[in-house]
Amino acid sequence: MRELELYYGPQHLGMVGNFSITLNVEGDRIKKATANPGYLHRGFEKLMECRTWMQNFPLVCRINVVEPDHIELIYSMGVEKLAGIEVPEKGKYIRSIYLELARVASHLFGLWAYSNMLGFDTVANWAMYHRDLILDLFEELTGARVYHIYIRPGGVRRDFPDGFEDKIIETLHTIGGKIPDYNSTFFDNRLFKKRTKGIGKLDRENAKKMGAVGHAIRATGMKYDIRKIEPYAAYDQVEWDVPTRKGGDAYSRLLTIRDEMIESVHMIFKLINKMPKKGTVYTKTPNPFKWKIPEGDAYVRCESSRGELGLYIVSDGGKKPYRAHFRTPSYSHGLTILENILAGEDIADVGNIMMSLYVVAPEIDR
Amino acid sequence: MNDLKQKIEMAFDSIDINIPEDNRMIINISKDGVISILSYLKNAGYEHLALISCVDLINENEFELVYIVSAYMKRDDEFHDREKQNIIIKTRISRKKTRFMTVINIFENAEPYEREIYELFGINFQGHPRLKPLFLEIEYEMPPFRKNFDTRKFVDDMFGNIPEIEGH
Repeated sequence: MRELELYYGPQHLGMVGNFSITLNVEGDRIKKATANPGYLHRGFEKLMECRTWMQNFPLVCRINVVEPDHIELIYSMGVEKLAGIEVPEKGKYIRSIYLELARVASHLFGLWAYSNMLGFDTVANWAMYHRDLILDLFEELTGARVYHIYIRPGGVRRDFPDGFEDKIIETLHTIGGKIPDYNSTFFDNRLFKKRTKGIGKLDRENAKKMGAVGHAIRATGMKYDIRKIEPYAAYDQVEWDVPTRKGGDAYSRLLTIRDEMIESVHMIFKLINKMPKKGTVYTKTPNPFKWKIPEGDAYVRCESSRGELGLYIVSDGGKKPYRAHFRTPSYSHGLTILENILAGEDIADVGNIMMSLYVVAPEIDR
Repeated sequence: MNDLKQKIEMAFDSIDINIPEDNRMIINISKDGVISILSYLKNAGYEHLALISCVDLINENEFELVYIVSAYMKRDDEFHDREKQNIIIKTRISRKKTRFMTVINIFENAEPYEREIYELFGINFQGHPRLKPLFLEIEYEMPPFRKNFDTRKFVDDMFGNIPEIEGH
């Protein structure tokens, strides 16, 4: 059969985000896939070298459009490590609660994209609605819906307003009450299983070889989670478990994400119960226009909703970073793994596999 | 961490290792030793390449390549100290002679990282199967992430001559 070249994205209907894949196909079967990133390259890492440490916050949160909170966190962690700043106890708890909310919101957004792709419009609308409820919480807490810039070096910007914990609990109960409906319409649905079981299979050996992190490696059974391995914020203060699956296919990845959401909600309840009632939420930092950070370099990492997120940051003792380089989870997922596991699959499953790996284009391009 | 330090010091001569804090190890090595130290670490269980980065040290007229490796878990549900550790391998190459060896044979996911560094810093990785631009749309006179690339001048040249819209 004749081999054809097919451009999948960025305008293709099955593509979510500004990303493109060139497929070499024979009939319906993919022979070779080549990822083409760069549609969203804004040169943030270079721009960061021209701005002061605090001025960089509006830039860094735009590195991941879907989930800016973990990028704020990783940048704050890098600055804290270089400058030797400690975070107060209450600040750590607030960070954890806030980040878990962000994780749930991001997973719901992913669920929207995924169910939309498979044609489950009802589920997509539910997921979007529930994400919006969490965005309402963020709006009340930070004044912004998407780019919050709430985490800052030394803690968080402000304390929870009065009665905010109750609002979080109420919202999460609303979302949690819908889980049986999600299960019966989507996760237990015969069509969903048919479309995902055995698709985009990534076994343990290949996952390790190609640098899989996050839910991609957890779907092969390994409890690899930076929150457990190298706890930051308040993740070592409460009991929680890392959900895993064994299959390594799109189905296992999706169920890992669902279980992770449920686990996050339980974790938020525990964190709220254990959070100290009084205390400051941030350590004072110097005047941002005169703030110089000692010379040195640091590598910090955290677990974003897509996997291990890292930052290598270098200071030359000045007012601006000398170099910052983000290690984003979508980078190896979208460029190395996607290219490898697409070979041999159907054209109809390209978007399916890409979304099950949770590839976000802005995170790759930066 | 100290055990590993001793083992590496036994296996390699002329190597500078320091442990600045818990779970972070910095290895400074000359550029010929990078391949062997990376394969040594991979065999020792550090099989996750987290990042390859490059720093332009313009005052010293050198590029610093930074490889960060860590370990996956040995058992699926047991946490050990080994996963906590991040090993940072640094090497310097001259800014004049920007050539280096690829490490794809050791770590498969090094491929896009090396491509990115080739594009943004102009370092030529010998043996890389497809060393072509990854992100950028146009060709620049100088790789744009180098420190002597004048961003402001580039912006002025590129966007300064756009005529104003009538009525504004």
